[in-house]
Amino acid sequence: MPFVQEILKHRSLSIVGLEKNTGKTVCLNYILRRLDELGVPVGVTSIGVDGEQVDSVFATAKPEVTLYEGTRFITSEQHYLKRQAVSVLEHVDSRRTALGPLVTARVLVRGKVLLSGAATTGVLRGQIAQLGNAGCRLAIVDGALSRLSLASPTVTDCMVLATGAAVSANLKQLVAKTRFLHSLICLDEVSPTLREALGQVEQGLWGVDDEGVPHDLGIASVFLIGSAGGDLLRYGHTLFASGAVSDRLLKALTPLGKDITLVARDFTKLFITPEVYNDFTRKGNRLMMLQRSKLIAVTLNPTSPQGFLLDSRNACDALSDALQTPVYDVMKIEQ
Amino acid sequence: MKIKELIKGDAGFQYVVDSMELMSAAGRRKLLDTEWSTDTAWLDAEWDRLEKAIAAVHEYKYKKPYIDLRHCLMQLHDLRGTLASLANHTPLNEVELFELKSLAQLCRNATGAIEGLGMGDLLPLPDLDRVFEILDPDHTGIANFYIYDSYDPRLGPLRRELSALQIAGDNPERIAALLAEQSEIQSEVCLRLSDELVRWAPTLSEALEQMAYCDLLFAKAELSIAWNLTRPAVGKKTAFSGLVNPRLKQRNEATGLRYQPVDISIEHGVTLITGANMAGKTVLLKSIGSAQCMVQCGMYAPAEKAETMLFDSVATSIGDDQDEMNGLSSYAAEIIKISDIVRRSRTEHLLVLIDEPARTTNPTEGKAIVQALIGIMQKAASATLITTHYGQLGGDCRRLRVKGFVEDMSDLPLNPRNINLFIDYSLTEDASGEVPHEALRIASILGCDEELLKKAKESL
Repeated sequence: MPFVQEILKHRSLSIVGLEKNTGKTVCLNYILRRLDELGVPVGVTSIGVDGEQVDSVFATAKPEVTLYEGTRFITSEQHYLKRQAVSVLEHVDSRRTALGPLVTARVLVRGKVLLSGAATTGVLRGQIAQLGNAGCRLAIVDGALSRLSLASPTVTDCMVLATGAAVSANLKQLVAKTRFLHSLICLDEVSPTLREALGQVEQGLWGVDDEGVPHDLGIASVFLIGSAGGDLLRYGHTLFASGAVSDRLLKALTPLGKDITLVARDFTKLFITPEVYNDFTRKGNRLMMLQRSKLIAVTLNPTSPQGFLLDSRNACDALSDALQTPVYDVMKIEQ
Repeated sequence: MKIKELIKGDAGFQYVVDSMELMSAAGRRKLLDTEWSTDTAWLDAEWDRLEKAIAAVHEYKYKKPYIDLRHCLMQLHDLRGTLASLANHTPLNEVELFELKSLAQLCRNATGAIEGLGMGDLLPLPDLDRVFEILDPDHTGIANFYIYDSYDPRLGPLRRELSALQIAGDNPERIAALLAEQSEIQSEVCLRLSDELVRWAPTLSEALEQMAYCDLLFAKAELSIAWNLTRPAVGKKTAFSGLVNPRLKQRNEATGLRYQPVDISIEHGVTLITGANMAGKTVLLKSIGSAQCMVQCGMYAPAEKAETMLFDSVATSIGDDQDEMNGLSSYAAEIIKISDIVRRSRTEHLLVLIDEPARTTNPTEGKAIVQALIGIMQKAASATLITTHYGQLGGDCRRLRVKGFVEDMSDLPLNPRNINLFIDYSLTEDASGEVPHEALRIASILGCDEELLKKAKESL
């Protein structure tokens, strides 16, 4: 059974997709079934609304999440009342979502459940802790749409990345897009000392001096970076962006010279395109992470919502080669 | 008038309300729904309860009963909607039934905590044990909930079959049929339970409201302790000794600045307050307005000693309500407010606080307006405080002056940051009708442009 043992070394797992319909839910079902066989108590929630029976964009049938006896789950009141599992309510949150308050329940008789969850990572973190306190050894967060924020190492300990024909029906493009995100996820981490120093920083762009001490560069927004120019390197060639790293930031740094190390909080803060990133690195600059996400596995859904089907073996091989990591066909591992 | 309307006023009462740490949404609702009261008996009773709550917080702050109570209140959900549905015979769903069971358990736990605080007589909570029992057929004693097998004899066998089929993973048609049947039975049970609970709706509401009140009372107690508030007394006059403006005091203390409390008595008729710029006239009006709101909403007063008459309402015109979007200039917005106050004062017993009326128009007519205002308010059955820079206003009204700058300050190293050290904010009776002429001197301390000052002095 691939990668499930690896998951068990962690306390929380996120399943994120490059796109909608990349098989996140199939992958989640697989993991849940394996964990049930191993008798591991798990908790499950989602970010945003997910788990709808019919995909709301493409109107294709979507597999529901099957939860097993003893599993705790968090979902909204509206979805809870539609569940097929028999379960006992343990907690109702005072915050309300569009679908009523979020409720926590424990499964008595297995069955399908619609998952929905908090819309913010702050609340999500609280829920992961809550599931842990209730005795779940592992908390799993199902991703919604193509949101990545839940895979931030500040939210979940490890992640599974789902990709598939929905990203692109062209195998080359699929590989290129997946490889790019994969390369960002796998960027090197800074040293523990620097991580500690930068961990205190809350906002803005910072320059790190030779002693590893960060100094605020006084740039409130990336939109104001243009006028700063070479001044950005006054403390040293290591910069720390506490918020989002965008193409605009990379473009501003690229002409300043080489040997710039730009540190981002984690890969979920990167909003950059391959072309701009490649320009940045080609000049001898590099991007590093304060904290790297632990990528457990990459899964592939060979079917696209438009009905296009990739050759599973071919696609998995091509991706494995490109990423240098095993890639699993979700439709096959589920069988 | 309720607190939720009072906080929209310009006396700064919003800050007081925002500073209260309520544990629950229901408690916050209770706070915002508190009515401005002119009922001495209610106020006295409320202050009695508050006094006891303060004593209890002092005694039990970090001890079990108080921690338990706060924990209960933190978990309190505002179930008004659910309780209204119940009372209207709308069947409740599983989640709503769970909420009622939780409320029953919270109520039981809170009762224990309140008794631990020695306040059982003051804050009696209803007995909801029967509600808990109805929702706990298996006598688990835990506030979890689902449609238990014991609610209907058909459920047990059905779920056992369902479980077996689900584990085997076959016969989806039979599973679908069983799920449909289960859903049917569950609905029946929900309906039955809702029927059984209808008669408990008023008691459940009482428990919710009483716990919300409990939250409010202890939030007031905590604020009274944190801000060192004083129990006011209702009397024939209003007199505050050591009155503070909580917001400014907090700010000054946080930034290491001095804060000077003031003494003031308020009488019927008009009191004219004069004083140099920066002498704290506006702050004084806001302090009085917000203190009166606190007192008449059953809170303690931000003063060392407080005696107050009870007013029907507080009417204010403080600050600049200029609103270009409404097409109102500063002057227009102000005149609308003031004329409203004049009209109301004919029928109501008001505390009127007006900051520098008619300051944004020409001094000749402006002064005439203030003179007329004084004349009318002097005869009204209200207490009116008016600050002004206009001198020689006629009439036999009472006059107070903020003492202002200490003695001779020409040799002092003044700057905008330390200026407050050299201002005496206390009030003194002043029958002269004169106003201080220190605008230029203060402008100079504030670093006003030399040429501007020089030209101004020349044209005096």
